[in-house]
Amino acid sequence: MHRGATHLAATLIAVAGGATPALAHPHVFIDTGVEVIFDGEGLASALRITWTYDEMYSLVILEDRGLDSDYDGVLTEAETATISGFDMNWDAGYAGDSYALIDEAPIVLGPPQDWTADLTEGRLVSTHLRPLLPAVPVGADPLVVQSYDPSFYVAYRIVGTPLLTGRSDCTVQVFEPDLAAADSFLQQALDEMYGTADLEADFPAVGAAYADEARVTCAAPS
Amino acid sequence: MRRTLLILGLAVALVLGLLWALGGMAQIERMALEAQREVQGRLAGAIRALRAGQPGALAALVAVAFGYGVVHAAGPGHGKLLIGAYGMASRVRPLPLAAIALAASLAQAATAVVLVYAGVWLAGWTRERLTGVADEVMLPLSHAAFAAIGLWLVWRGTRALARDRAAAPAAGHGRHGHAAHVHGPDCGHRHGPTAAEIAGVASLRDALLLVGGIALRPCMGAVFLLLLTWQMGIGPAGILGAFAIGLGTATVTLAVAGLSVWAREGAFAALPGSALQRALPLVQIAIGGLVAAVAADLFLRSL
Repeated sequence: MHRGATHLAATLIAVAGGATPALAHPHVFIDTGVEVIFDGEGLASALRITWTYDEMYSLVILEDRGLDSDYDGVLTEAETATISGFDMNWDAGYAGDSYALIDEAPIVLGPPQDWTADLTEGRLVSTHLRPLLPAVPVGADPLVVQSYDPSFYVAYRIVGTPLLTGRSDCTVQVFEPDLAAADSFLQQALDEMYGTADLEADFPAVGAAYADEARVTCAAPS
Repeated sequence: MRRTLLILGLAVALVLGLLWALGGMAQIERMALEAQREVQGRLAGAIRALRAGQPGALAALVAVAFGYGVVHAAGPGHGKLLIGAYGMASRVRPLPLAAIALAASLAQAATAVVLVYAGVWLAGWTRERLTGVADEVMLPLSHAAFAAIGLWLVWRGTRALARDRAAAPAAGHGRHGHAAHVHGPDCGHRHGPTAAEIAGVASLRDALLLVGGIALRPCMGAVFLLLLTWQMGIGPAGILGAFAIGLGTATVTLAVAGLSVWAREGAFAALPGSALQRALPLVQIAIGGLVAAVAADLFLRSL
């Protein structure tokens, strides 16, 4: 009886944990543009990330700042200057929603630099540079760039073909998440933890499995 | 014929549940996400058109806001979970449940209006402060209310189970085995509670708890809309839009309410009466436990 009750409780918590990410829904939609920059030695040294915000959130930000008061969707030059950096005031602990990995090993991304912002057709477009620390060689093993918010407050999707700057022997492809695979990955992670771990504390970090990602491969590691 | 129709409801719910379990809902969620992205953009366009004084802009805003409510509700959400769970786990009649679903959606819109206007008028809050209150105070509160509703279902199921057990041996002594009988005001002899009594048929307390639990969590889209329109000096249009979002949401919660009743009555039609009297408390405990576990998980994450 006690065993049964424990089993039931564990199952409920597992189901609850599984349902929780799905119960979140995003309030902000961002189209992500990715540029991978190679240095003089052919190492991938930085990412330039472009975020195009949805019209609603753009309007909220503009109204907050009293910009585009004629509602024509175009900013004056002075207004453009004041909007720069509007999304670059990051809280401590905010990872920046961009992730880079090679062979599943995460690469540290430095704090954002060289940011810009503008308004295009009623949508705020910002860019920023994230250095790869350290710069990494890229060969047949893809450099993976992901764009996601672990809490899913923001829904990101990678749009367009990512740019590769500084090398001409590399190719890139964008992959949408394989939802069935992501779900089975979640299930597998839960099964592994089943009965052994505190699911509340150690809920598996599976957000990345649901993210759009760009995969960059090059002819030979350099 | 009626029985077949009812059992069909159970089948539909089981198929939907199976789809969800097998990951089929992921595709639907992705479609809902695309629709949300699309309609969020249109809502912004409608607000801008209204501000620019274009003719017909108000009607367009209300229409788009209604659509926003529908597609937002079509994604995963707490209100549906709660209404569905309650509809499955207690023998509430369809009309009261529908009324609860509608009231909850409209109350949710009213919460957004009160939050925004109390915030900007009384407290002079900025947008960050306001959305912060919605996310950091009201969200945990609503999750706590959800957990309470789940536990309430568990408690009621447990109590009904205990009454069943107490009543069972007494029944063996024939009609006048009074030892463990419950005597209600309306009836002389009762061999355990009837299904209707187990359910408590949507008492006012249940209704308030459900509506309150759902309404505590304002829709962020409505908050954005209200703030924007207030800042632009077209506040009344925003309030109208917020309630249009609520009505849009209600269409989906009403569908969930209907399906949950249909499925539950299907189960009643499929199982013989006495078996079901025993099964309903168990269903209540299981569903209540699930709701409480999901809510507790959400509550801990939202702190």
